[in-house]
Parts: sequence; structure tokens; C-alpha cells
Amino acid sequence: METRIRLLLLSGVMLACSGCATMHWPWHHPKPDQQSQTVDISTAGDDNSPPPSVVEPQVERRTITVPQIKAKNLEIGGYYGEISIQDFGAQPVAGARIDYHITEDFFFEGTYGRAKGGKTSFEELSGNVQLLSDAERRFTYYNVSLGYNLLPGEVFIGHSLAMTSALYMIGGIGEVTFAGDENFAINFGAGFRVLPTDWLALHIDVQDLVFRSDDIGFEQLKNNLQATIGASVFFW
Amino acid sequence: MLRRVELAFALLLCVLSLASTPARAAHELLQVFITQPYLELHTGPGRGYPVSQVVARGDSVDVLFRRTDWIKVRTERGLEGWASVRELTLASLADGSNLKVSMGDRAGFASHHWESGVYAGAYAGATLIAGYSALSLTDNLKIEVGVSQFLGNVSNGYIAEIGLAHVFIPDWRVSPLVTVGTGFEHVSPKVLLVQPADRDDQLAYVGVGARVYLARRFFFRGEYREYVVFTRTNANEVNEEWRLGFGFFY
Repeated sequence: METRIRLLLLSGVMLACSGCATMHWPWHHPKPDQQSQTVDISTAGDDNSPPPSVVEPQVERRTITVPQIKAKNLEIGGYYGEISIQDFGAQPVAGARIDYHITEDFFFEGTYGRAKGGKTSFEELSGNVQLLSDAERRFTYYNVSLGYNLLPGEVFIGHSLAMTSALYMIGGIGEVTFAGDENFAINFGAGFRVLPTDWLALHIDVQDLVFRSDDIGFEQLKNNLQATIGASVFFW
Repeated sequence: MLRRVELAFALLLCVLSLASTPARAAHELLQVFITQPYLELHTGPGRGYPVSQVVARGDSVDVLFRRTDWIKVRTERGLEGWASVRELTLASLADGSNLKVSMGDRAGFASHHWESGVYAGAYAGATLIAGYSALSLTDNLKIEVGVSQFLGNVSNGYIAEIGLAHVFIPDWRVSPLVTVGTGFEHVSPKVLLVQPADRDDQLAYVGVGARVYLARRFFFRGEYREYVVFTRTNANEVNEEWRLGFGFFY
């Protein structure tokens, strides 16, 4: 009895499937007529009929633009510190710097700084005597230097923070304006750079600015040591 | 005065930091596939920094940015490190072609778009400091713009100039060149018994020199120039100058 019922149900399912297959559902797209294709092929060889058309792809080739690799070799920033102007005391100094890193070892640096000279010992002791006017005490300089990363390394803070760093030597040429005169100067020194992030650099620098001057009556070689701290940002 | 400088410095740093950070998010990254057995990633942009990880053949890395000869990359696992440009040029792009990065070599010395440099020298007996930039019209012909300052015992001054440089055989390691140009000179005489006024005059120059390829992007350049200063007096002034310096191309 059960076998008969099963056979009956199976026959019903088969009939339903074949019926569904023959129906034209709205989403069903019939294939191109087989007969018309054979006609096309048979007439293709006829000389009077036009040649079979070649299918032209309508898809345009995509132009792939490869993104440029950003270079961050340029560093712009400022510094602040103390400069010891020979005979005129230690004074605050502030300036701006621009660095271009050419290789992992060498970099160019341009700096511009300004300070204001204090009083000489003679002026301090003798009362009202003034060797230079206020405008002449303005100490401005620029220099163009070549730097060498002597000791590149890393700075570790705690267990998880590591920052790249470098101890560098630097030297160059420039100009110092002081006591109403512009003087050729050379500069040399050393600095330490640490990078807390990829785009920020912190600097500690010690440099000597050397030039010849006769600002106190006789010509002498003047050494002006400066120690500064600074920060700069890496650009393209 | 210094207070104002300090404020300006602080403001500059704020602007610079703001200007530099949003660019990172908007930048589309280049993806390269490692074709060599492995790619070493260092902890910093230098040959001495230790290797912290390696990327296996077939894996890809995203290129973040370049600093000198090192490129910071991010692996598929999100780890970041520094790969040498030389090693990364062995990797391939998505279309199978090799990654090309300009390293600076003899070919670049012969043919480049821009060059810049600084000089030291002597101009009419005064010490000279000069800087220049040049745009290459062809490998042989360049437009040069320069500024210089001369510091002497008698007078100080500035020169701003524009001119043409013709490099005869740019492929040679030592390539001779000639220059011609014009500009302006500002002269401030130093304190004398009879104080003459500051002077602004036009000038022209011709020069002959050579540039010598050193390594990578560096070259040495030396030049001798003769300047004719068109003064307001009856006779023009003729000044000699020599300059030696370093330049780099990019």
C-alpha cells in the first residue's frame, strides 16, 4: 500500500517538473532560433551576400594609472636656543631651517637665525657708554651647510616605543650681519635628530659661527657658539 | 622682538603639522608584488637598521612613501617597515611590469629635469656665496637662475641673475659647459672717509666651466666667469669671478 502511494507521489512530482520546464516564465529568455543560424551559415558562402560581420568589441580598454610614490625628503621647521655672541654676551636666538635629505647619509641644510647682542663688559662697567646702537646690535645670519649622518640609530622609550634618530656632523658657509656690517662666516657643529613620527623631527644642535670682525675697534676672529632645540616637519 | 619670533615659530609648526597630516588619508597607495624569494623590511630608513620582518614571494605590500633610498611599506598583515629601493625595484606591479624608481645614476646625470647647487668662490676679490637652480630644456641646454652674495673689505653686495648654460657632452663624467646671462647687482660700499651711495646696476656675464659626476645625485661644478657691469659712469666695470660648488639633480 505504502509502495503504491510513493509511486503515485513520485509520478505527480515528475509530471509537475516537466510541466514547469515547458512553461514560458516571465524571466525566461529563449535562445536564438537554431534554424535562423543554420540559414545564416548556409548563405555565408554565397558571393552575392554581404561578408559576415566581425564582432567589434564595444568595451574600451581601461587606462591604469599607477599611483606616484610620495617622497618625503624635505624638512621645514624652526629652532630656539641661546647664542653666545663674542664680547656681547649670551642671548636668545630663534631661526628657521630647511633640510633636503639627498641620501641616507648626506643632507643639505639652509638656516636663517636672529638674535640681539647684549652689552660688552666695558659698557656694563663704564656706565653710559654705548659701543653700538640698538639697530647695530641686531645679529642675523644665514648659512648653507652639508650634513653627514654619522651615527644613525634608534631611541627606545619604555617597552613599546622606538624612534629612529641620527647624530650628525654639519658644516657650511654663510653670512652674519652684526654691528652694522655683513661678514662672511663659516659654521660647523653637530646635532641630534629624533623622529617621534614619520613626519615630525626634533633637533638638538650645537654650532659655532665664526667670522672676522672689527666691531670693537680691532679685527679679530669671533667665535659665536649656539645651542638650540627645534622641531621640523617632513614634506615631499 | 624675540617674543614675536617665538609666537611665529609656534604658529608655523601648528600650520605645518596640520598641513602634513590630512594628505596621508587621501593618498592612493601603490601595491607591488614580491617576485624575489623574500623582501627584507628594516626598522628604519638606513642600511644599519635591523631587519624586523620579511615578506615572502607572491605576497604584496602597499607603498606608503619614500625617504632618500628607502621606501616605507605596509604588508598584507598591516605591519610596516622600510624596504631598500634597490630591492623593491625587483618587485612587480599588478600588470606584471617591474617597479621603476629613479635612484640617481650616470644616466640621470646626463639627462634630468632639474638641478640645484651651492657655490663658494671669489667675485672681484670679495668672498662669494651663491646658489642656483637650472631647468633642462634639453640634455645640453639649461635655463639657470641664481642669486649670490659677495662680502669684501671695500663693499658688500648681491647679484640676481638668469642665463643659459650649454653642456657640450652631458654623457661624459667630466662635461664642459659654457654660460651666458644677465642680471642685476646691488653694491653697498663699506664705511669710508668719503661715503659713496649704494649702487644698482645691470650686468652681463659669460663663463666657462665643467661639471664632474661624483655619485648618486651629486656632482661637482666649477666655473670661471667674466662680468661686465653697466655702470652709470663712462666706463663699464669688468669683474672676474670663480666659483666651486656641489650640485644635485632631481
